[in-house]
Amino acid sequence: MKGLLKNNFRAVCANAKVFSVFLLLTGIFTAAVISQSLVIGYTMIGIVGFSINAAAAAKNEFISKWGKYKLTLPVRRADIIVSLYANLLLWMLIGTIFAGTGVSLSWILHGCPFDQKIDILSMFTLGISISLFSGAIFFPLFYLCGKEKSEALLLISLLVAGVLTLVIVNLCNDLFAPGITGILLGNVVLFIGSLSAFVLSCPFTVGIFRRKEY
Amino acid sequence: MENILELQQVSKSFQKSGFLLDQITFSLPYGSILGFVGENGAGKTTTIGCILNTIRKDHGKITLFGQEMTDADTDIREKIGVVYDGDNFPSYWTAKQLSQIMAGLYKNWDNALFEKYTDEFALPPGQKIGHYSRGMTMKLAIAAALSHHPQLLILDEATSGLDPIMRDEMLDVFLDFVQEETHSILLSSHITSDLEKIADYIAFIHKGRLLMTVSKNELAYQYAVMRCQESQFRSLDPGDVLAYRKRDLQTDVLVRNAKEAAGKYKDIVIDHVSLDEIMLLLIKGERL
Repeated sequence: MKGLLKNNFRAVCANAKVFSVFLLLTGIFTAAVISQSLVIGYTMIGIVGFSINAAAAAKNEFISKWGKYKLTLPVRRADIIVSLYANLLLWMLIGTIFAGTGVSLSWILHGCPFDQKIDILSMFTLGISISLFSGAIFFPLFYLCGKEKSEALLLISLLVAGVLTLVIVNLCNDLFAPGITGILLGNVVLFIGSLSAFVLSCPFTVGIFRRKEY
Repeated sequence: MENILELQQVSKSFQKSGFLLDQITFSLPYGSILGFVGENGAGKTTTIGCILNTIRKDHGKITLFGQEMTDADTDIREKIGVVYDGDNFPSYWTAKQLSQIMAGLYKNWDNALFEKYTDEFALPPGQKIGHYSRGMTMKLAIAAALSHHPQLLILDEATSGLDPIMRDEMLDVFLDFVQEETHSILLSSHITSDLEKIADYIAFIHKGRLLMTVSKNELAYQYAVMRCQESQFRSLDPGDVLAYRKRDLQTDVLVRNAKEAAGKYKDIVIDHVSLDEIMLLLIKGERL
């Protein structure tokens, strides 16, 4: 598993380096300017961007014969899939740290960028949930439909993840009474929902991958 | 003699292409090299896929080290080194990174041995694999396949695309590997000269069917080709003819027992036969 994680991490590294530079520059700009929408945008791009990079790297495996070669290594097919999911979580965490640093800087320089502090939590929950839903949708589709369609599948996954998140947020707004408790509950529902989808998607992808021939 | 690898009536069909791998049966004894020969698309890679579980067989039985390998049998895969034709590893890695990743995958990964091979093969450890020549990528794949101390090497067209000098170097490495009597190699190739140099056994596959599996000595000393004129060809006992091919005024006939044929057909010229010629006769020739 250690080797698989290293392999997956390396697969994302090249794109992640470019993305990190971009985030660093936009982070400085976001911290320097007083703009709530910029902070929201930066947080979303940071969290979701790194996660999407991690998901997209699955295609790299099949550019060479490495995807096939991996099946001859002393690892189970399930390990290969679990390592991909773990990799997405890892990069999502890196994205969250980037976003957290940007928001913290903005807060230090200009004060809390939102009316209520709990809105920051909501913003992070939103980013994390979109990332988790995207991964939960993308990985099974990728192994089902093949690498040739990966860009379209990634876009579809991201859009569906966005729509799902909005639907859950709207449902929670209707279900829970306005106020901090309601917002907190909404965040919990959104996070648990997306995390459950992510966790359940993993054995589903393993099932698809087990039937695949290379 | 015990076998490291055994295939018994392995079949696999592909609905889309209509290709059928038809009841492949052969075995690879410990301490030997089996050359798996056939034209492109004959079924060599499909057979190897079935052995390595990258493809699911429809029927038959495959045993590696005396047992059938499932996805969970990672211990068996610890003992197998694999080299595919072309790019085995992502181009954005360096040889050094490859070693680090492999160390996290194989319990017996030997970094010192890997470095010894990369030195020997003149592979720059810090250079991206994408910048390697084709020969260098194949050498790297061979180095990686050998560096976890496998007992069985499965090489799918591993020497194709290499120049004759590089191929010769690699063949020496393979011969060195089988000096250990517990080591074996399955080498699929359509470069018959390579197999003539190193293989102990040859298995011929054509259109998904195994035409024959013979020892190289048997091929060299027993199999022969008779150069027949039309009238001589018509007088042959059909039981002696493995395959024949008409060429202008002459018909080449592949026979299993050169001595017997020489005694039986005194007027006919009988020549030793090369692997290339056998392959041509078996694949392009006809049967009586």
